[in-house]
Amino acid sequence: MTPSTSKVGSIADAVSLIPDGTRLAIGGFAIYQHPMAVVRALIRAGRRDLTVVGTVSGNEVDLLAGAGCLKRVETSYVGLEKYGLAPNFRRAVEEGRIEVVDYPEVLSFDRFRASQENLTFWPCDYLGGTDVLARNPDIRIFTCPITGRSLQAVPPADPEVVVLHAIAADERGNVILPRRHLLPQGLDVIMARGCDTVIVTVEKIVPRALVRRHAEQVQIPAYKTKLVVEAPWGAHPTAVLGRYATDDAHFRDYVAASASPEGFAAYLDRYVHAPADHAAYLERIGAERLGTLTELDTL
Amino acid sequence: MSESHHTPSAGAPTLAETIAVTLARSFSDGEVGFTGLVTGGAAALFGTSIPLAAMALAQAMHAPNLTILLAGWSHNPDLQSLSVMPDSEFDAVLRDLPCDAQMMTYPGPWSIRRGDIDFGFSSGVQVDVAGNINSVCIGDPARPKVRLVGPILQPEHMTLFGREYVMMPHHARRNFVERVDYVSGVGYPGGLEGRRRLGLHHGGPEWVVTPKCIFDFDKENGRIRLKSVHSEADRQDIAAHTGFDIDSAGVPQTAAPTPEELDLLRRHVDAKGVLLGRHGSRPAV
Repeated sequence: MTPSTSKVGSIADAVSLIPDGTRLAIGGFAIYQHPMAVVRALIRAGRRDLTVVGTVSGNEVDLLAGAGCLKRVETSYVGLEKYGLAPNFRRAVEEGRIEVVDYPEVLSFDRFRASQENLTFWPCDYLGGTDVLARNPDIRIFTCPITGRSLQAVPPADPEVVVLHAIAADERGNVILPRRHLLPQGLDVIMARGCDTVIVTVEKIVPRALVRRHAEQVQIPAYKTKLVVEAPWGAHPTAVLGRYATDDAHFRDYVAASASPEGFAAYLDRYVHAPADHAAYLERIGAERLGTLTELDTL
Repeated sequence: MSESHHTPSAGAPTLAETIAVTLARSFSDGEVGFTGLVTGGAAALFGTSIPLAAMALAQAMHAPNLTILLAGWSHNPDLQSLSVMPDSEFDAVLRDLPCDAQMMTYPGPWSIRRGDIDFGFSSGVQVDVAGNINSVCIGDPARPKVRLVGPILQPEHMTLFGREYVMMPHHARRNFVERVDYVSGVGYPGGLEGRRRLGLHHGGPEWVVTPKCIFDFDKENGRIRLKSVHSEADRQDIAAHTGFDIDSAGVPQTAAPTPEELDLLRRHVDAKGVLLGRHGSRPAV
């Protein structure tokens, strides 16, 4: 019997799959469940000229923007929800350091559906009169061959690499979603299905036997994943549904620090550059704080 | 219950209550209404709490088959079980809020392009005379003075929903402009004919609701106009706070709730004051 291949690797392995200039999709939504351990490692590695293609973006893009890793962002939203505008992203855009291509939210989802179906465009009929259309040369006008109507052809997301964070996977790369989940977890699946290089960080790598007892919750099967990395608390300070809550105090500190470039630089030093790796980052956050964030999903 | 001193229906209607009742009367039975979960002070009140109260009141009055879509995915959430308004769209609080149906992925239960959503609520930093809205940036989009969040769902709200209520938590000159700096949600440029030329055959802004007034539209000519002012004081100073020309003479005052509507709102829809605040205290807007 030949054993199956393990996809298990390290955060460093993940970073090596994302070189400078990569067209990258980052899982999660707004301020929920981003693969933050990988995001911090990309900054630590000094990555430059990344394009992030997203749906509803948040602190992951803000952090990369502030750290100078981004060339371009294609998404429908960059913000911190109840914590306000994304301060570092905002500064970078206002200073002309990042190019932003604005897409409507539903179309930002559909762009990943187009990639899943390997379509060269997604048809749309509702962008007339908007600057979303007027300012985006990548959206082309065409005539519907069936009805003769004028439509818009929206380019697919086509990320070169997708990185997302989930609760669990086995060594082969079968990824489990919580039975009761919400739209952000569903969108992670759409992202993963439209890309050949899918990196999944997980709270825990679990035995295949556990996966097989919950096969109906495997939305990303092993042949879709390139690399699986165990990264407990890997989404901190964002929440992982069913596992832990948003670190509210950390977000408030982040926003306060980001009021000035100097303050943000100090934040980066403290939480990204000084800790050598994810384990050192977690030590810096502290077990006591992490413990307060634990969410009991079911009894 | 030690609330014998509590007389829910006493007191004049607050502004939030008046707006909620006015909105509620405009909804029809069987419609599907969509509101996001907006956070923070007046924005949350106008963007989420008033729309939820209005839809729940309509359900209690004349529209028992109206569907509330909270944050686009929770169908008819049990608002009365809340003791505080949630401030996160996708955390465990909303996941566990009892409701009729949830959307776990996209595409989900509603078919947005088929017109499943009859009306929605959105907001923006700018609204202009044609009803265009903007949540992307202030200044030149190529090098903005202020970068905001992005278009989010506005393009869909303003074209794929049957009609849109634009909820503006502040009424100042900088919010109500001749021409928005970025059109993220399209109104009636060139009127209804202009919309048709843009390939838009559905939807568009119906009202713009502010702390001072309600605007509607001369849709044929594509021009915003005052529908009602909330008070005589608002009538006096509204032009000074609006960045385009408006005439408030002869515009009616926003109709007050009836005692029955107010009673239903206070005792049934929002008995704990979670949505519209404690009765008798005018919410800060």
